[in-house]
Amino acid sequence: MSATPGPSTPSKKRSRWDADEDNQPPEPQLSSKRRAKSKSAKSETPPVQTLPHAPPGRPEPTHPRHSIFVPPRTLHPTLTPSRSVYCYERLNAIEEGSYGVVFRARDKQTGEIVALKKLKLDEEKHGFPITALREINALMSCKHENVVNIREVVVGDTLTQVFIVMDFIEHDLKTLLTVMPSPFLQSEIKTLLLQLLSAVAYCHERWILHRDLKTSNLLMNNRGTIKVADFGLARRYGDPVGVGGLTQLVVTLWYRAPEILLGATTYSTAVDMWSVGCIFAELILKEPLFQAKGEIELLSMIFKLLGPPTSTSWPDYQSLPLAKTITLPPQQPPQLRQKFPYLTAAGLDLLSRLLTYDPEKRISAREALQHPYFSESPLPKHPDLFGSFPSAAAGEKRRKPFDSPSAPARAADYKLLTEFDAYADAHNA
Amino acid sequence: MSTALYPLASLSQIEKTPSREDGIPFELEEDLRAYGCKFIHEAGVLLKQKQVAVATAQILFQRFWYVTSMKQFGIGDIGMGALYLASKLEECPIRMRELINVYDLLLQRVSHRLTSTSSSLQHRPEFKYIPMSYFGSTFYDLKDALVVAEMQILKRLGFNVHVVLPYGTLVNYLRVLGLTSREDVCTRAWGYLNDALQTPVYALYPVPTIVSAAIFLTTRHLGISLPSSPENRWWELFDAEWEDVWSVCGYIMRLYRERDVKTQKSLWGMLTKKGVRQWLEENTSSDSNTQGS
Ligand SMILES: Nc1ncnc2c1ncn2[C@@H]1O[C@H](COP(=O)(O)OP(=O)(O)O)[C@@H](O)[C@H]1O
Ligand SMILES: [Mg+2]
Repeated sequence: MSATPGPSTPSKKRSRWDADEDNQPPEPQLSSKRRAKSKSAKSETPPVQTLPHAPPGRPEPTHPRHSIFVPPRTLHPTLTPSRSVYCYERLNAIEEGSYGVVFRARDKQTGEIVALKKLKLDEEKHGFPITALREINALMSCKHENVVNIREVVVGDTLTQVFIVMDFIEHDLKTLLTVMPSPFLQSEIKTLLLQLLSAVAYCHERWILHRDLKTSNLLMNNRGTIKVADFGLARRYGDPVGVGGLTQLVVTLWYRAPEILLGATTYSTAVDMWSVGCIFAELILKEPLFQAKGEIELLSMIFKLLGPPTSTSWPDYQSLPLAKTITLPPQQPPQLRQKFPYLTAAGLDLLSRLLTYDPEKRISAREALQHPYFSESPLPKHPDLFGSFPSAAAGEKRRKPFDSPSAPARAADYKLLTEFDAYADAHNA
Repeated sequence: MSTALYPLASLSQIEKTPSREDGIPFELEEDLRAYGCKFIHEAGVLLKQKQVAVATAQILFQRFWYVTSMKQFGIGDIGMGALYLASKLEECPIRMRELINVYDLLLQRVSHRLTSTSSSLQHRPEFKYIPMSYFGSTFYDLKDALVVAEMQILKRLGFNVHVVLPYGTLVNYLRVLGLTSREDVCTRAWGYLNDALQTPVYALYPVPTIVSAAIFLTTRHLGISLPSSPENRWWELFDAEWEDVWSVCGYIMRLYRERDVKTQKSLWGMLTKKGVRQWLEENTSSDSNTQGS
């Protein structure tokens, strides 16, 4: 029996995972206690009988050469409880969004400036909200140069205070577009669009739909890099959708794809691509493409710009739940060229592939990254060559952005603000 | 699928679990972990919940006890909180009210077992479930406990609740080993993976190691030989290390140990932290402190 390695405590063995340079041979070490235990196992318990003998030890044991598919254990994060929000010093409120409040704060240990987003948890009848779980999970699983980096989730004194800690990013594109004296150059638009597309492609490859892409959810730092933020409506798209299908209460109206407007309850990555098209247009126009007050107005604006859908451009149109309630305007040619007179043919082609009615035919993020628009002159500008702007989020300049309706509704909650003030003040005193 | 790495307990967390620091012996902790996972499973069956949600709940439950002591939170509450949370994570949320009803039923069943005077497990009066009164406080007490448990799991795991289940990996590995046509192999290995959900291994080892252990036990049991010579060991194909595979096998094997009636009964009594504290009071001796270090 003593030659038979019994079940061992992982601690003994796992010291090797944690220490990279450890070349100890993997001798099976056993505490006598554990050996006694395996001995005492009832012999009639089926699998125990088949307990194998260890293969003979190798003379020169080597670490397995880990394939890229199985990262070494040391790369796995450990189980780490949330820290307290008091690890951060509150600076200023950045924005009151629909789901929470965002603050600028300083890490008291490192001095780093971060953004803290307070989640709205009060009056939850169903425990921790599933939307907040999706937001945190999506952020945690999307580690990408162009997705805002989540650092940790911290908690306050009560169970209703939960904050997402992110890298602080100086600007959001919506504010930036309103304060910029002149629009972005074509070369800059290409850079921003490429970054956005690569983030979206990355998310889609991880089965994550963002479902609320718009300029106010795109952050940009002073080094010309875009970071997709606000995964508050994100969802994995392979998941069961439940009775009733996916909700239509997603995506801020102006950026909402026509299939959602027409009541589709199964939709996919293409909804994000429509939003990317709207953002592309907005970067050129320096204002949102479809500034509609309601869904009907939005549909008619879309029909006007692209020409109404036909059975060839969108074969499934008639089968959408709300299609019958809508009277299509008479056929008319698309107005895209008139709306974007200075865009090259390639640029217009990309835009119309993004703003394609049929979600099946709409271009994917991966495909869009390869579009000729990005390889024709002027080439994308290197991010380092972007000018820097005063950061409204850091309180460097007052701003008054045009107000866009939010997804699905923007609710002010000053209680949260004052709460945070109260304890931040108490703590700083 | 997501490439983000799922968290695993650190070496020091494994060496000194909070429960053992509180004087709960290694074996008792292991038994209570398994009991809690069975409890989750039973609730999942009664709720007709999807297996993925139940498995996710069990893994979160196992992780939790590397950051929290069973003296501080009851395994029943945490088990149900984990099931509630995991159901959201897997996009098949359950209604609070339904979960509370099931929890109440399971609790009543346990206390019935405990109070039935017969010493034999077979001969005891029939269990009758008394639906809870919605005017009593039980509902609200259980609801509070559930909400707190869910939040505590999130908080203490730092909101990193990413879980990777082993089934897809098993299918891949069996294919690589040319074993997919053997139905007995698939079923048995699948069964070991499910049994392993009652052990801490998913909080300790990467999935490839656990899957290798399940395949190892299966092929040994069925007398199938796979390349195991020093130069050519099949598990190395899957980046598993022998002593880890072996350790996982040990965890699974220990599940099948028989417990005597007395041990079994005392486990039932420890579904709550109250029960655990009582056990600690009755068993605090120098002996229990030296165990399992
Ligand atoms: N990491 C960050 N750095 C700087 N500002 C941020 C950051 N995250 C969010 N913001 C600001 O806060 C606003 C609201 O945040 P967001 O995550 O979009 O919340 P909501 O779901 O409420 O819209 C953003 O539009 C942006 O101006
Ligand atoms: Mg937002």
